[in-house]
Amino acid sequence: MNFDRLSASQLDALREISNIGMGHAATALSQLTGDRVELRVPRVTITEISAVPELLGGAEQVVVGVTLRILGDARGNILLIFPLESARQLLTRLLGAAAVKDEFDEVAISTLKEVGNILASAYLNALGSLLHLTMIPSIPLLAHDMAGAVVDAVLIELSQEGDLALTVETEFCGEVPGHEVIRGHFFLLPDAASLQVVFGAIGGVA
Amino acid sequence: MSEKRRIGISEYATGISPEVLITYGLGSCLGILLYDGQQRLGGLAHTLLPAPRPGQTEARPGKFVTSAIELMLTELLARGAERPRLTAKIFGGATMFEGFGNDAEGIGVRNTRAARETLAGLGIPLHSEDVGGHHGRTVEFDLATGIVQVRSVRGGDIVTHFDLTV
Repeated sequence: MNFDRLSASQLDALREISNIGMGHAATALSQLTGDRVELRVPRVTITEISAVPELLGGAEQVVVGVTLRILGDARGNILLIFPLESARQLLTRLLGAAAVKDEFDEVAISTLKEVGNILASAYLNALGSLLHLTMIPSIPLLAHDMAGAVVDAVLIELSQEGDLALTVETEFCGEVPGHEVIRGHFFLLPDAASLQVVFGAIGGVA
Repeated sequence: MSEKRRIGISEYATGISPEVLITYGLGSCLGILLYDGQQRLGGLAHTLLPAPRPGQTEARPGKFVTSAIELMLTELLARGAERPRLTAKIFGGATMFEGFGNDAEGIGVRNTRAARETLAGLGIPLHSEDVGGHHGRTVEFDLATGIVQVRSVRGGDIVTHFDLTV
Protein backbone atom coordinates (compact mmCIF):
# COMPACT_ATOMS: atom_id res chain seq x y z
CA MET A 1 0.00 0.00 0.00
CA ASN A 2 1.34 3.41 -0.93
CA PHE A 3 1.15 6.13 1.65
CA ASP A 4 0.34 8.74 -0.97
CA ARG A 5 -2.81 6.89 -2.05
CA LEU A 6 -4.58 7.01 1.30
CA SER A 7 -7.99 8.65 1.29
CA ALA A 8 -9.20 11.32 3.69
CA SER A 9 -11.49 8.84 5.44
CA GLN A 10 -8.62 6.39 5.94
CA LEU A 11 -6.55 9.13 7.51
CA ASP A 12 -9.54 10.07 9.71
CA ALA A 13 -9.90 6.48 10.84
CA LEU A 14 -6.21 6.34 11.74
CA ARG A 15 -6.50 9.60 13.65
CA GLU A 16 -9.49 8.30 15.61
CA ILE A 17 -7.98 4.97 16.64
CA SER A 18 -4.76 6.73 17.55
CA ASN A 19 -6.66 9.22 19.65
CA ILE A 20 -8.12 6.37 21.66
CA GLY A 21 -4.78 4.60 21.91
CA MET A 22 -3.00 7.75 23.00
CA GLY A 23 -5.71 8.41 25.57
CA HIS A 24 -4.78 5.14 27.24
CA ALA A 25 -1.09 5.99 27.04
CA ALA A 26 -1.71 9.41 28.60
CA THR A 27 -3.68 7.83 31.44
CA ALA A 28 -0.77 5.50 32.07
CA LEU A 29 1.65 8.42 32.14
CA SER A 30 -0.63 10.34 34.44
CA GLN A 31 -0.78 7.43 36.89
CA LEU A 32 2.98 7.09 36.71
CA THR A 33 3.75 10.72 37.49
CA GLY A 34 0.68 11.58 39.54
CA ASP A 35 0.15 14.61 37.30
CA ARG A 36 -2.65 15.58 35.01
CA VAL A 37 -1.57 14.79 31.45
CA GLU A 38 -3.06 16.63 28.52
CA LEU A 39 -3.12 15.29 25.06
CA ARG A 40 -3.40 17.00 21.71
CA VAL A 41 -5.58 15.43 19.04
CA PRO A 42 -3.16 13.41 16.95
CA ARG A 43 -1.97 14.70 13.62
CA VAL A 44 -1.83 12.14 10.89
CA THR A 45 0.53 13.28 8.21
CA ILE A 46 2.30 11.83 5.25
CA THR A 47 5.64 13.53 5.13
CA GLU A 48 8.91 13.29 3.36
CA ILE A 49 11.20 11.18 5.50
CA SER A 50 13.76 13.96 5.23
CA ALA A 51 11.35 16.46 6.82
CA VAL A 52 10.74 14.50 10.04
CA PRO A 53 13.62 16.07 12.04
CA GLU A 54 12.01 19.48 11.42
CA LEU A 55 8.86 18.32 13.22
CA LEU A 56 11.03 17.96 16.32
CA GLY A 57 12.47 21.44 16.23
CA GLY A 58 15.45 20.86 13.95
CA ALA A 59 18.04 18.18 13.35
CA GLU A 60 20.47 19.50 15.99
CA GLN A 61 17.98 19.78 18.83
CA VAL A 62 19.11 17.47 21.64
CA VAL A 63 16.44 14.92 22.48
CA VAL A 64 15.93 11.59 24.17
CA GLY A 65 14.38 9.01 21.87
CA VAL A 66 12.89 5.69 22.89
CA THR A 67 11.95 3.33 20.10
CA LEU A 68 10.09 0.04 20.08
CA ARG A 69 9.43 -2.25 17.19
CA ILE A 70 5.80 -3.36 16.85
CA LEU A 71 5.53 -7.10 16.31
CA GLY A 72 2.54 -9.30 15.63
CA ASP A 73 -0.33 -8.91 13.16
CA ALA A 74 0.69 -5.43 12.13
CA ARG A 75 4.25 -4.16 12.16
CA GLY A 76 5.95 -0.86 12.45
CA ASN A 77 7.84 1.31 14.87
CA ILE A 78 6.91 3.53 17.74
CA LEU A 79 9.17 6.44 18.47
CA LEU A 80 8.85 8.59 21.56
CA ILE A 81 10.81 11.81 21.61
CA PHE A 82 11.34 13.93 24.68
CA PRO A 83 13.17 17.24 24.51
CA LEU A 84 16.16 16.97 26.87
CA GLU A 85 14.62 19.27 29.50
CA SER A 86 11.36 17.33 29.53
CA ALA A 87 13.23 14.05 29.96
CA ARG A 88 14.98 15.55 32.99
CA GLN A 89 11.68 16.80 34.39
CA LEU A 90 10.12 13.41 33.92
CA LEU A 91 13.00 11.77 35.75
CA THR A 92 12.76 14.33 38.53
CA ARG A 93 9.07 13.52 38.96
CA LEU A 94 9.71 9.79 38.99
CA LEU A 95 13.02 9.48 40.84
CA GLY A 96 13.37 12.71 42.78
CA ALA A 97 15.65 15.65 41.99
CA ALA A 98 18.68 14.12 43.75
CA ALA A 99 18.72 11.16 41.39
CA VAL A 100 18.92 13.24 38.20
CA LYS A 101 22.49 13.98 37.19
CA ASP A 102 23.89 15.88 34.22
CA GLU A 103 24.76 12.71 32.37
CA PHE A 104 22.04 10.06 32.36
CA ASP A 105 23.11 7.04 34.38
CA GLU A 106 21.94 3.45 34.17
CA VAL A 107 18.91 4.10 36.40
CA ALA A 108 17.84 7.17 34.40
CA ILE A 109 18.16 5.32 31.10
CA SER A 110 16.21 2.30 32.23
CA THR A 111 13.54 4.54 33.79
CA LEU A 112 13.05 6.39 30.49
CA LYS A 113 12.96 3.09 28.59
CA GLU A 114 10.34 1.84 31.00
CA VAL A 115 8.24 4.97 30.45
CA GLY A 116 8.47 4.28 26.72
CA ASN A 117 7.46 0.68 27.32
CA ILE A 118 4.42 1.66 29.41
CA LEU A 119 3.22 4.28 26.92
CA ALA A 120 3.72 2.02 23.93
CA SER A 121 2.05 -0.95 25.60
CA ALA A 122 -0.96 1.13 26.67
CA TYR A 123 -1.28 2.43 23.13
CA LEU A 124 -0.90 -0.94 21.44
CA ASN A 125 -3.27 -2.67 23.88
CA ALA A 126 -5.99 -0.13 23.14
CA LEU A 127 -5.40 -0.40 19.40
CA GLY A 128 -5.25 -4.18 19.54
CA SER A 129 -8.49 -4.66 21.42
CA LEU A 130 -10.22 -2.10 19.21
CA LEU A 131 -9.09 -3.76 15.99
CA HIS A 132 -8.84 -7.36 17.21
CA LEU A 133 -5.21 -7.47 16.23
CA THR A 134 -2.28 -8.70 18.24
CA MET A 135 0.42 -6.07 18.48
CA ILE A 136 3.31 -6.56 20.85
CA PRO A 137 6.05 -4.06 21.57
CA SER A 138 9.67 -5.22 21.40
CA ILE A 139 12.07 -4.26 24.17
CA PRO A 140 12.62 -0.50 24.19
CA LEU A 141 15.86 1.03 22.92
CA LEU A 142 17.07 4.46 23.88
CA ALA A 143 19.24 7.10 22.27
CA HIS A 144 20.09 10.52 23.64
CA ASP A 145 21.47 12.77 20.94
CA MET A 146 20.68 15.20 18.10
CA ALA A 147 17.12 14.76 16.81
CA GLY A 148 18.31 14.14 13.26
CA ALA A 149 20.58 11.33 14.33
CA VAL A 150 17.99 9.76 16.64
CA VAL A 151 15.23 9.62 14.03
CA ASP A 152 17.34 8.50 11.11
CA ALA A 153 17.99 5.10 12.63
CA VAL A 154 14.25 4.50 12.82
CA LEU A 155 13.40 6.04 9.45
CA ILE A 156 16.07 4.15 7.55
CA GLU A 157 13.99 1.02 7.72
CA LEU A 158 11.05 2.82 6.12
CA SER A 159 13.24 4.46 3.54
CA GLN A 160 13.98 1.12 1.94
CA GLU A 161 10.37 1.09 0.76
CA GLY A 162 9.99 4.69 -0.31
CA ASP A 163 10.60 8.31 0.53
CA LEU A 164 7.45 8.96 2.53
CA ALA A 165 6.57 8.25 6.15
CA LEU A 166 3.11 8.05 7.59
CA THR A 167 3.39 9.61 11.00
CA VAL A 168 0.74 9.66 13.64
CA GLU A 169 2.07 12.29 15.96
CA THR A 170 0.78 13.72 19.15
CA GLU A 171 2.12 15.93 21.85
CA PHE A 172 1.37 15.21 25.45
CA CYS A 173 2.07 17.52 28.24
CA GLY A 174 2.01 17.03 31.97
CA GLU A 175 1.41 20.13 33.98
CA VAL A 176 1.63 20.68 37.68
CA PRO A 177 1.56 24.15 39.17
CA GLY A 178 5.10 25.05 40.15
CA HIS A 179 6.67 22.44 37.88
CA GLU A 180 8.06 22.69 34.41
CA VAL A 181 5.84 21.33 31.68
CA ILE A 182 6.80 17.89 30.39
CA ARG A 183 6.40 17.57 26.65
CA GLY A 184 6.79 14.61 24.39
CA HIS A 185 6.14 13.53 20.83
CA PHE A 186 4.69 10.15 20.07
CA PHE A 187 5.19 8.79 16.56
CA LEU A 188 3.60 5.72 15.09
CA LEU A 189 5.41 4.66 11.95
CA PRO A 190 3.58 1.71 10.42
CA ASP A 191 5.27 -0.41 7.79
CA ALA A 192 3.59 0.17 4.43
CA ALA A 193 2.45 -3.46 4.15
CA SER A 194 0.91 -3.44 7.63
CA LEU A 195 -1.37 -0.50 6.88
CA GLN A 196 -3.46 -2.80 4.73
CA VAL A 197 -3.91 -5.07 7.74
CA VAL A 198 -4.96 -2.14 9.93
CA PHE A 199 -7.50 -0.85 7.41
CA GLY A 200 -8.82 -4.36 6.90
CA ALA A 201 -9.41 -4.55 10.66
CA ILE A 202 -11.08 -1.14 10.79
CA GLY A 203 -13.34 -2.55 8.12
CA GLY A 204 -14.51 -1.13 4.85
CA VAL A 205 -12.84 2.25 5.06
CA ALA A 206 -12.08 3.22 1.50
CA MET B 1 31.97 34.13 4.70
CA SER B 2 29.19 33.02 2.43
CA GLU B 3 25.87 31.54 3.48
CA LYS B 4 26.11 27.90 4.48
CA ARG B 5 24.45 25.55 2.06
CA ARG B 6 22.42 22.93 3.83
CA ILE B 7 22.33 19.35 2.60
CA GLY B 8 19.26 17.44 3.82
CA ILE B 9 18.69 13.71 4.17
CA SER B 10 18.99 11.93 0.79
CA GLU B 11 20.54 15.02 -0.81
CA TYR B 12 23.94 15.87 -2.18
CA ALA B 13 25.52 18.99 -3.59
CA THR B 14 28.77 20.13 -5.12
CA GLY B 15 30.22 23.59 -4.74
CA ILE B 16 33.29 25.78 -5.06
CA SER B 17 35.17 28.17 -2.75
CA PRO B 18 33.99 30.24 -0.85
CA GLU B 19 30.92 28.07 -0.36
CA VAL B 20 30.37 26.20 2.90
CA LEU B 21 28.42 22.95 2.81
CA ILE B 22 26.78 21.66 5.97
CA THR B 23 24.69 18.66 6.96
CA TYR B 24 23.06 18.21 10.37
CA GLY B 25 22.46 15.25 12.61
CA LEU B 26 24.04 12.27 10.85
CA GLY B 27 23.13 9.15 12.83
CA SER B 28 23.52 5.87 10.99
CA CYS B 29 23.38 7.97 7.84
CA LEU B 30 26.73 8.55 6.20
CA GLY B 31 28.14 11.93 5.19
CA ILE B 32 30.47 11.62 2.20
CA LEU B 33 32.87 14.41 1.20
CA LEU B 34 34.86 14.66 -2.03
CA TYR B 35 37.37 17.45 -2.65
CA ASP B 36 39.80 18.76 -5.24
CA GLY B 37 42.07 20.95 -3.12
CA GLN B 38 43.68 22.82 -6.00
CA GLN B 39 40.42 23.86 -7.60
CA ARG B 40 38.73 24.24 -4.19
CA LEU B 41 35.88 22.20 -5.60
CA GLY B 42 34.03 19.74 -3.44
CA GLY B 43 30.87 17.83 -2.72
CA LEU B 44 28.91 16.63 0.29
CA ALA B 45 26.24 13.92 0.42
CA HIS B 46 23.92 12.79 3.27
CA THR B 47 23.12 9.17 2.42
CA LEU B 48 20.71 6.78 4.13
CA LEU B 49 21.35 3.37 2.62
CA PRO B 50 24.22 1.51 0.97
CA ALA B 51 22.80 0.86 -2.52
CA PRO B 52 19.54 0.64 -4.44
CA ARG B 53 18.05 -2.80 -4.80
CA PRO B 54 19.05 -4.54 -8.02
CA GLY B 55 16.81 -3.49 -10.90
CA GLN B 56 15.26 -0.68 -8.89
CA THR B 57 15.20 2.75 -10.47
CA GLU B 58 15.48 5.42 -7.89
CA ALA B 59 13.80 8.78 -7.84
CA ARG B 60 16.34 9.96 -5.31
CA PRO B 61 19.83 8.72 -6.07
CA GLY B 62 21.25 10.90 -3.27
CA LYS B 63 19.71 8.44 -0.84
CA PHE B 64 22.33 5.79 -1.60
CA VAL B 65 26.04 5.71 -0.87
CA THR B 66 26.97 4.20 -4.23
CA SER B 67 24.92 6.48 -6.46
CA ALA B 68 25.64 9.64 -4.47
CA ILE B 69 29.39 9.10 -4.83
CA GLU B 70 29.10 8.47 -8.57
CA LEU B 71 26.88 11.51 -9.12
CA MET B 72 29.11 13.82 -7.10
CA LEU B 73 32.13 12.54 -9.02
CA THR B 74 30.46 13.20 -12.39
CA GLU B 75 29.39 16.69 -11.31
CA LEU B 76 32.81 17.59 -9.92
CA LEU B 77 34.58 16.43 -13.10
CA ALA B 78 32.12 18.46 -15.19
CA ARG B 79 32.94 21.51 -13.07
CA GLY B 80 36.64 21.15 -13.73
CA ALA B 81 37.94 18.90 -10.97
CA GLU B 82 40.88 16.64 -11.86
CA ARG B 83 40.22 13.06 -10.99
CA PRO B 84 43.70 12.22 -9.69
CA ARG B 85 43.46 15.12 -7.25
CA LEU B 86 40.18 14.02 -5.68
CA THR B 87 40.22 12.69 -2.15
CA ALA B 88 37.42 11.69 0.19
CA LYS B 89 36.37 11.74 3.84
CA ILE B 90 33.43 10.00 5.46
CA PHE B 91 31.58 10.70 8.72
CA GLY B 92 28.62 9.14 10.50
CA GLY B 93 27.54 5.52 10.18
CA ALA B 94 26.81 5.27 13.91
CA THR B 95 24.57 2.79 15.69
CA MET B 96 22.20 5.12 17.51
CA PHE B 97 20.10 2.51 19.28
CA GLU B 98 22.21 -0.34 20.55
CA GLY B 99 20.64 -3.61 19.54
CA PHE B 100 18.40 -2.05 16.89
CA GLY B 101 17.26 -4.32 14.08
CA ASN B 102 17.74 -8.03 13.80
CA ASP B 103 20.92 -7.91 11.77
CA ALA B 104 24.13 -8.52 13.58
CA GLU B 105 25.49 -5.74 11.40
CA GLY B 106 23.78 -2.38 11.62
CA ILE B 107 22.93 -0.11 8.73
CA GLY B 108 25.63 2.37 9.76
CA VAL B 109 28.32 -0.28 9.38
CA ARG B 110 26.93 -1.33 5.99
CA ASN B 111 26.84 2.28 4.79
CA THR B 112 30.45 2.73 5.83
CA ARG B 113 31.59 -0.42 4.08
CA ALA B 114 29.70 0.51 0.89
CA ALA B 115 31.47 3.89 0.86
CA ARG B 116 34.94 2.39 1.36
CA GLU B 117 34.32 -0.15 -1.41
CA THR B 118 32.85 2.35 -3.87
CA LEU B 119 35.67 4.86 -3.31
CA ALA B 120 38.30 2.13 -3.66
CA GLY B 121 36.65 0.93 -6.87
CA LEU B 122 36.81 4.45 -8.31
CA GLY B 123 40.41 4.93 -7.16
CA ILE B 124 39.56 7.87 -4.88
CA PRO B 125 41.75 7.82 -1.75
CA LEU B 126 39.86 7.92 1.54
CA HIS B 127 41.95 10.29 3.65
CA SER B 128 40.12 10.27 6.91
CA GLU B 129 37.01 9.08 8.55
CA ASP B 130 35.21 9.33 11.84
CA VAL B 131 32.59 6.64 11.71
CA GLY B 132 30.72 4.25 13.97
CA GLY B 133 30.14 4.66 17.67
CA HIS B 134 26.79 5.58 19.16
CA HIS B 135 26.60 9.34 18.61
CA GLY B 136 25.25 11.71 16.00
CA ARG B 137 27.41 14.12 13.99
CA THR B 138 27.01 17.43 12.19
CA VAL B 139 29.52 18.05 9.40
CA GLU B 140 30.54 21.47 8.10
CA PHE B 141 32.79 21.60 5.04
CA ASP B 142 34.51 24.88 4.13
CA LEU B 143 35.43 24.65 0.46
CA ALA B 144 37.75 27.69 0.63
CA THR B 145 40.11 26.09 3.17
CA GLY B 146 39.35 22.38 2.96
CA ILE B 147 38.63 22.44 6.69
CA VAL B 148 35.99 20.02 7.94
CA GLN B 149 34.41 20.45 11.36
CA VAL B 150 32.60 17.52 12.90
CA ARG B 151 30.41 18.48 15.83
CA SER B 152 28.66 16.10 18.15
CA VAL B 153 26.68 16.36 21.34
CA ARG B 154 28.10 13.26 22.92
CA GLY B 155 31.24 12.19 21.10
CA GLY B 156 33.42 15.33 21.19
CA ASP B 157 34.27 17.60 18.27
CA ILE B 158 36.82 16.97 15.54
CA VAL B 159 38.49 19.33 13.08
CA THR B 160 40.21 17.80 10.10
CA HIS B 161 41.30 19.25 6.78
CA PHE B 162 41.85 18.20 3.22
CA ASP B 163 45.32 18.60 1.73
CA LEU B 164 45.25 21.59 -0.62
CA THR B 165 48.41 20.67 -2.51
CA VAL B 166 47.55 17.21 -3.78
